[in-house]
Formats: sequence, structure tokens, C-alpha cells
Amino acid sequence: MSRSLPIHEIWVYLSGSPLLALILTLTAYQIGFFLYTRSNRHPLANPVAIAVLIVAFSLELLDMPYAKYFEGAQFVHFLLGTATVSLAVPIYRGLRELRGRMGPLLLALVSGGLVSIASAVGIARSLGADHAIVGAMVSKSVTAPIAMGVAERLGYSPTLTAVFAVITGILGAVLARFVLDALGVKDWWQRGFAIGVAAHGIGTSRAFSIHPEAGTYASLAMGLHGILGAVAIPLLAGYIPLF
Amino acid sequence: MIPGLVQILLWQGAGELASHFLLPTIPGPVLGLVFLLAFLVVRGRVPDNLALVSDAFSQHLGLLFVPAATGVILFLPQLREHAWAVILALLGSVLLTVAVTALVLKGLNRKATHE
Repeated sequence: MSRSLPIHEIWVYLSGSPLLALILTLTAYQIGFFLYTRSNRHPLANPVAIAVLIVAFSLELLDMPYAKYFEGAQFVHFLLGTATVSLAVPIYRGLRELRGRMGPLLLALVSGGLVSIASAVGIARSLGADHAIVGAMVSKSVTAPIAMGVAERLGYSPTLTAVFAVITGILGAVLARFVLDALGVKDWWQRGFAIGVAAHGIGTSRAFSIHPEAGTYASLAMGLHGILGAVAIPLLAGYIPLF
Repeated sequence: MIPGLVQILLWQGAGELASHFLLPTIPGPVLGLVFLLAFLVVRGRVPDNLALVSDAFSQHLGLLFVPAATGVILFLPQLREHAWAVILALLGSVLLTVAVTALVLKGLNRKATHE
């Protein structure tokens, strides 16, 4: 007994502290981010999606319940609120770049935002998805940290909202160019803004990697959509028929 | 770095208080964002220590929603059952959103240049 510490004792000790969950979360994200940079920042190699797969697989392997993992990982989760506040800086930088385009941009943002909610809720509902899924569709085009806060207040699942937001971001980052080409939208600021409204942060990094002007407008769109979504979605929520 | 972080935490605190007492439908951090944005507009520039913290957060924003997103494992049976609804809703919605946003901008811009 004194010769070597039994492995399960080490295990019991480690799994009782937040350390294991934190190591798991950060290592998984590190691997995801490594693969993302190695793939030349391709949206399909999304670091969050990769990290979620790695963590989920590890929990399965370690036979660790999700609630226990979250107990430790909540220290990372808590910073979401702080990160949301700090989004004010990129939004402020974007506002300074505007040069009198505020009117058209706001109109496009409101139209895009309404279409994103109506189409997602409409399609999911008509195909028979249940209440939890349809509810999580409502704020999925808003940047994930804000979307999750909004969903939580409205009693929808923040988890499903985050997952739908990430998938939306990936789809938008990969597919937006085909839609924009087909519609003959050529100006970088228009292309960037459309991607930012539809596909928030993931679309924005894609836009930055293609053209700086597209990136600036995508980032502005993401920020404005975040603020508008947080203010308007709770007001609209009562009028959105989820069933 | 620390002065920037302290400022952001204070704005977040102010946002949480405002959310709790005045505007319960809006999440506290979003109100904190709005307060900070108003502060920056009044100030006319971004202080360096604030930019440092904000850039660090925005570069790895994704890391922060890994814990919550991993909760998807609890929803797997439900998602499997409604897989097509989820996929088609997300796909259709993102394509339509890109299209409508871009068309509104293109239309308004053409009108503006013709006038």
C-alpha cells in the first residue's frame, strides 16, 4: 500500500477538484485551436466543435457525468459574461468606421435578424421539432455568449442555443459566399455585413481572412446583432409561436 | 491588463445590478456592454489596458462556451430524433439570412447612388 498510491485514489482526489475539468476543457480547446490554425483557419475545423467532441468523448471514456464536469468547468463558463461586456470595444471600433451608412445597415440588420428567427423557428416547427429545439432556434444567429444569456432568461436551453449558434456560424462561414455570388453582391462591406448578421463570430473570422473591409463590417454586424437581439428578442418572444 | 479587467468587471457588475432592478428581460452582461459602449463613445477612444483585455477575450471567445456546449451530450437522443428538422432549419435559416441582409443592402445602396 505504501509502495505505490493506488490509481483509483489519485482518481478520486483529482475528480473531486475543478482542476480535472479545467485541464480537460483547456487542453481540448488547445488541440482544437491547433488543428484550426494548421488547416489555415478553415471554418470546418472549428476549434469549439473540435473541443466539444474531445470533451464529450473524454467524459464518456472517464465515465464522468456532465453535471460533475460542469461543476469544475463553470469557472471558464463564468467568464462568458465578462467577455460579453468586452465586446463593446470591437463594436465601438466598428461604429467609428461607419461613414454615414448607419441607416441602410440598421435596416438590413433588422430584416436579416427577423428572417433568421422566422425561418429557423418556422422550418423547425413545421418539421415537428419539440419545444426545447424550437426555443433554442430563436437566438441562434446572435453571437453565442449573448444568445445563451438571452435563451436562459427566456427559459430556453442555453446549451442547445450554443450548439445551434456554433453550427450556424460554421454553415454561414462555409456557404455564404455561394449565396452572395449567386445574388451578384460584390461590395466587400455588403458581403461582410451579411455574413456577420447571419453567422456572428465564426463568420466574422472567415470574413477577416478574406478581406479586411469585409471583416470590419462583419464584426460590426455581429456586435449590433448582439445588442439588438438582446433587447428585441425578449420583447418579441411572446409573439413567436413555438408550436 | 489588470486595470482593464477591473474596469470590465465593474461594468459587468453595474449591468447585473441594472438587470436585476430595472430591466429584468435583458441579461446583465449585455447591459454592461451597452454601458461600456456609451462610456467609450463619451470618452472618444479605447484606453490601452481595456483594448488589451478585450482583444484577448475576442481572440478566444470560443473557449468560453465549450463547457455549456458540451452539455449537448444530454440532448443527443432528442437531437437524433429531430435531426432533419434541426439540420434543415439551421441550413435554411442561415442561407435566407445572408440573402435577405445582402439584398437589402444592395437595394438601398443602388437607390442611394441613383438619387
